Amino acid sequence: MSAPDFPSVPPRVETYLRGVFWQRVRALLLTFDGGWHLRDMRGDAAYYGLEGADAGKSVQALCDLFVGMPLHEPQDVPFVEMVNGLSAHVHLIPDDNAFHVLLLDAAVERERQRVQQQLGNEEALASQAKSKAIGQLKQIRSELERQHARLEEAHALKNALIATLSHEFRTPLTSIFGYLQLIDRRAGDEPQMREALHALRRNATYLFTLAENLLEYGRGETAVPLLNPTPVDIEALVSDLDAMFRPLAEEKGLDFRVTLKLEDAAQPVFDEIRLRQILVNLLSNAVRYTRRGEITAEVVWRAQTLAVDITDTGIGIAAAHRDTVFVPFNRGGHAGSKGAGLGLSIVKRMIEHMHGTLAFESEVGRGSSFRVALPRAKERAAAHADDAIAPRFWLQGRSILVADDDPDVAHLLEGLLGDLGFRVRVVNDAQSAVLEAMAGRPDVLLIDVELSGLSGNAAVYKLRSRGYKGRIVTLSATATTEAREAALRAGADHYLTKPLNVEQFVHVMQQAASTGWEGVSDASNDA
Amino acid sequence: MSAAAFKLCMLGDFGVGKTSLVSRFVHSTFSEKYLTTVGVKVDSKKVDLPGRAPCKLVLWDIAGRSHLDALNMTYLRGASALLLVADGTRERSLHTALNLLMQARTLLPEVVAVLAINKLDLVEQWEVAPAALEELRRTLSVHETSARSGEGVEAAFADIATRLAA
Repeated sequence: MSAPDFPSVPPRVETYLRGVFWQRVRALLLTFDGGWHLRDMRGDAAYYGLEGADAGKSVQALCDLFVGMPLHEPQDVPFVEMVNGLSAHVHLIPDDNAFHVLLLDAAVERERQRVQQQLGNEEALASQAKSKAIGQLKQIRSELERQHARLEEAHALKNALIATLSHEFRTPLTSIFGYLQLIDRRAGDEPQMREALHALRRNATYLFTLAENLLEYGRGETAVPLLNPTPVDIEALVSDLDAMFRPLAEEKGLDFRVTLKLEDAAQPVFDEIRLRQILVNLLSNAVRYTRRGEITAEVVWRAQTLAVDITDTGIGIAAAHRDTVFVPFNRGGHAGSKGAGLGLSIVKRMIEHMHGTLAFESEVGRGSSFRVALPRAKERAAAHADDAIAPRFWLQGRSILVADDDPDVAHLLEGLLGDLGFRVRVVNDAQSAVLEAMAGRPDVLLIDVELSGLSGNAAVYKLRSRGYKGRIVTLSATATTEAREAALRAGADHYLTKPLNVEQFVHVMQQAASTGWEGVSDASNDA
Repeated sequence: MSAAAFKLCMLGDFGVGKTSLVSRFVHSTFSEKYLTTVGVKVDSKKVDLPGRAPCKLVLWDIAGRSHLDALNMTYLRGASALLLVADGTRERSLHTALNLLMQARTLLPEVVAVLAINKLDLVEQWEVAPAALEELRRTLSVHETSARSGEGVEAAFADIATRLAA
């Protein structure tokens, strides 16, 4: 590097210029021998953080700058961040068997660039985020326009809280339902044992209905619940309702009557969980809001329609509240009473989704009557006659890797899958699942989404991005469309939610095992 | 200077997490705050390799750019390895990383290159499809990383060190 020509100036000016130059550049010169041992240091070492206890380390960091570089020619590395956060232009000047390293201050210039660059980058990031957000906002704009912004925010927060609570219910319920199923399969015909199991399942279902009420509300009003129509044993359902509510009614001194008329030979087909949810909510309200008198439930299966009339002699609903009685968290019609005020809103929404009708009559002080009519649903195409015959035959010898960090759920899945004929291997974290799946190539990988540490979705992504072609079923306690889509996007073939619907679980496992490694990925909606 | 020291440059678009990856790898720390890098910050860490002598990686955390300008080319001089970094939630940053690799190879034809797709903790928001990485893996070593959780970070740097020591 040659110095530019400079006109001769008076000595006083030259002295002044020299002073300005040194003050501005704050030069620090370090001289090293050929083995990079520091021999001399001149200038403001403290300014660059090269003094004190860590000076040796800091000087070493400077030497590291020239790793890999040709050392026989000068080098110039601009804007190097020093250990104390300041910035310097660093120059290497070879000199026979020595090296000079010259540091010139770049702090002011760097800070100016940093501010400019930070603004630019943040603006660009914000712009990208904005583009994404606009896409999402378009989808929900029609809904947002109807509601005031602050109310909407509060609503969303409330929903999130409820969905989280409901989500927390699902994992233990998975264990309860699953183990009941397992015990049921293995229990003998001893009547007392069967009755006990029946009671356990009935009450677990009741608990599940309450949790589902919350989830249903937490889903938000525009979300459509996924229905799973199957043949329903109406007699067993009515018997369960009787066993569930008679003790509660009798405890309050109420007469309780449930009647059933089966006038159509065709098998009723409904989403049984939703049907139970509707009836449990209506009966629950009847018992809660009736202080004296009676409650009657008439169930009639006629002309492909299930008609249910539930009548009570309770406190009734005032005419002024007829329109608000189906609004969530509104107990206007039953003022002074307990309860979340969710039941009727859920019932109405469920019935609408099931293409049914709901009517009610009520008089304050005399009671209420709710009439439900539900048309028979179309059974899902894959009722899987073959599955019902011999699942074990289909799955015997197939291998499955289960990844779940809840020991109860893992043990339950192991039992259920073992019963289906699978050879089961269990791991309790996502990392092990990735390693074992790549090495063992099981026919099916069943993995929990909410694993601690690396998530189930991340593990699925890692597998797919490494070319893993085996079937993957994810299991989650989050029953939302967004969660399902995220799992499928990560590479899962099926998405199941907790608690497990055992029939659906068996079907999905059979489907996954039958396509195995030969099948082509075909993401499907299961939950 | 030790003979087993290698210069490794972090390359990628701004905001993909290059500084965070270095911070996680060298100091085991992570900050949620985004602070743009100006110029270069150099750190180093000794890496133990099974059955081999340890080596020292000198990490050049270079300001994020969508293309290599003259200044970046200056920083790349003498580099033995590149850790290309992309943000899984911004597919465009993957294209940027691959473009940067192509540009860097004009200066460093023999350089060891490994790709890190960062922000695995946000996998639900990723725009980069698994199939895209499956395809890339045919020609490039790819790691999914999370500077926030630390997932995959050690593995990515160890991969580079192993390739350098080979």
